[in-house]
Amino acid sequence: MTSARRRFWCISNLNSGKLARWAVTLPPSLFLVVFFLLPALIVVAASLREPGEFGGLAPLFVDGAFTHALTLDSYRFFFGDTIYLEIFVKSFFIALLTTLICIALAYPLAWLIARSPKRRRDLLVLLVILPFASNLLIRVYAWILLLGPLNLLYTPVAVVAGMVYVHLPFMVLPLYTNLEKHDPALLEAAQDLGAGTWTRFWRVTFPLSLPGIFSGSALVFIPVLGMFAIPELLGGTGDLMIGNLIKEQFLDNRDWPFGATLSLLLTVAVLLCAGLATLAAKKSFKGTEAVT
Amino acid sequence: MMRRLLLCLLLLVQARPALADDVLYLYNWNNYISDATVSRFETHCRCTLKQDYYSDNEEMLAKLEAGAVGYDVLVPTGNAVESLIRRGALRPLDQARLPHLGNIQAEYRNPWYDPSGHYAVPYATSVTLLGYNVDKLRELDLPTDTWALIFEPRHLAKIKGKVTVLNSQRELMAAAMRYLGHSVQSHELAQWQQAKRLLLRAKPYWAAFSNSTYIKDLAIGNIWVAHGYSNDMYRAQQDALAAHRPFSIGFATPKEGAVLAVDNFVLHKDGRRPDLALRFIDFMLEGANAADVSNLIGAGNPNAAALPHIQPEIAGHPAIFPPAAELRRLEMLRDFDPQLRRALSRMWTEVKVR
Repeated sequence: MTSARRRFWCISNLNSGKLARWAVTLPPSLFLVVFFLLPALIVVAASLREPGEFGGLAPLFVDGAFTHALTLDSYRFFFGDTIYLEIFVKSFFIALLTTLICIALAYPLAWLIARSPKRRRDLLVLLVILPFASNLLIRVYAWILLLGPLNLLYTPVAVVAGMVYVHLPFMVLPLYTNLEKHDPALLEAAQDLGAGTWTRFWRVTFPLSLPGIFSGSALVFIPVLGMFAIPELLGGTGDLMIGNLIKEQFLDNRDWPFGATLSLLLTVAVLLCAGLATLAAKKSFKGTEAVT
Repeated sequence: MMRRLLLCLLLLVQARPALADDVLYLYNWNNYISDATVSRFETHCRCTLKQDYYSDNEEMLAKLEAGAVGYDVLVPTGNAVESLIRRGALRPLDQARLPHLGNIQAEYRNPWYDPSGHYAVPYATSVTLLGYNVDKLRELDLPTDTWALIFEPRHLAKIKGKVTVLNSQRELMAAAMRYLGHSVQSHELAQWQQAKRLLLRAKPYWAAFSNSTYIKDLAIGNIWVAHGYSNDMYRAQQDALAAHRPFSIGFATPKEGAVLAVDNFVLHKDGRRPDLALRFIDFMLEGANAADVSNLIGAGNPNAAALPHIQPEIAGHPAIFPPAAELRRLEMLRDFDPQLRRALSRMWTEVKVR
């Protein structure tokens, strides 16, 4: 046995062992604990504290004595009247609308790219990614010039237009990777069995593309929900979203506990949505398994 | 040859830290010191002045709160000075090393935010007031010396969609409070509620909440009345003049009183070069240097020795340099306790959304 082969043998032996599994999974797990779980717990803790006199959090100890216990004040303030809930609902509506428009625009585009000759596909995908080469804010500023003459600037329409424009590639790419893998033989078989163009799309292509739609929707819906730059630049005074509220609490108002409360409620709402989407996806995957 | 090159490189590497030692870090408002003055100071102290910029106090405080370090000198407004002092973030000034401190006018000495005068040296002032299109308002027969112009529907009806107000909870609500005859430092929640109702009633007549675009819009003629800062109004006036517009821009402090902002040099406690910082502050206290900010952006100036160096149309403008009688009608913003801050933030959300 040569040394190279022996080394290979050792590695492959390790790979199957528990040690290797730990070695591989530990760094990412550690990363998630340190940079996601711990900060999330800090946010939970901050939301239960009182705001400091000049920003930050109220000190836990003053002259050695424990002063500020935990409080639900921030949550009471949030649910105390409807205005913050209204902004939450409106943000969810904008995110949903953006996602639906993105699906409607991205689907034909992704389908077209997937159906075009192989040598041209790479170029087309590159064109979809190309807008990322320039900064988000610059691209949004460009919309100010476009929407101004149309008298649409500083309206909800402008916000949705900006959102759709910025997030469209996130819908096109997962849809394209999905549609590209479809086996044309399936469509031919459907045709042989007498299915028309529409039937072929609805009964074969669309169900098979659902995983792409779901992952694209998650990539669009969640960032849109937390976005604050686009409503600030393109929206009118009434077009506040949750992201704007959170930014205002941390920067302008220096009310960390309330900002933390808003962030936490947003995270919980997003997790709920993601959970529902996964459930829906699982159901539809069972449906598609029958097709494939 | 090779060895000599290496030696040179080594020397360069060693020389670097020595150079870096003579750098003064200034965390400043954008466009608050002219390049000419910066290079004069650099020659004077044989050091380098490095600036970072912020566009409002909250941004600066939030960055410091989040742990930004390394700044020697900051230029906070009065209320932010108080907050920094209370947090123990500032270093007391060694007044013996500021021989030009006497140039500061008596009215600006020992302000409420720094009663002992240990921490802050006032540098520039501005008033939050109304700028307007002189010809348009004369044509419409509207008053220009009262907040009623942006709050009363009977006036607003004539200029609907031609008014912008500041997109700032503190400034706009303060203007409403002055108009209602209350102090901008009031702790009475009922008075603030009254101000909120006034804003909600006037809001349908406003074109936008704007913090910077009003300068251009006023100078072009897109809008006729703007709520904003005296130095911005001065710029709009100059821009309209330079472009030979068929109208002129004026600005005046409403008779009900307004908000005065005083920006100050302070030393951050973690700054590494308090010696350079003090030299810088004293340099900026000299009349010709102190005048810089007024000539540059049309700011008011608390420095008596600066007056002869300031262009007469700036130094003579009562809205930029308020006469002593008018100064008494001006109030500075003050930070509130967390409960009132939260209540005001909620009112502001309501003003925005409803």
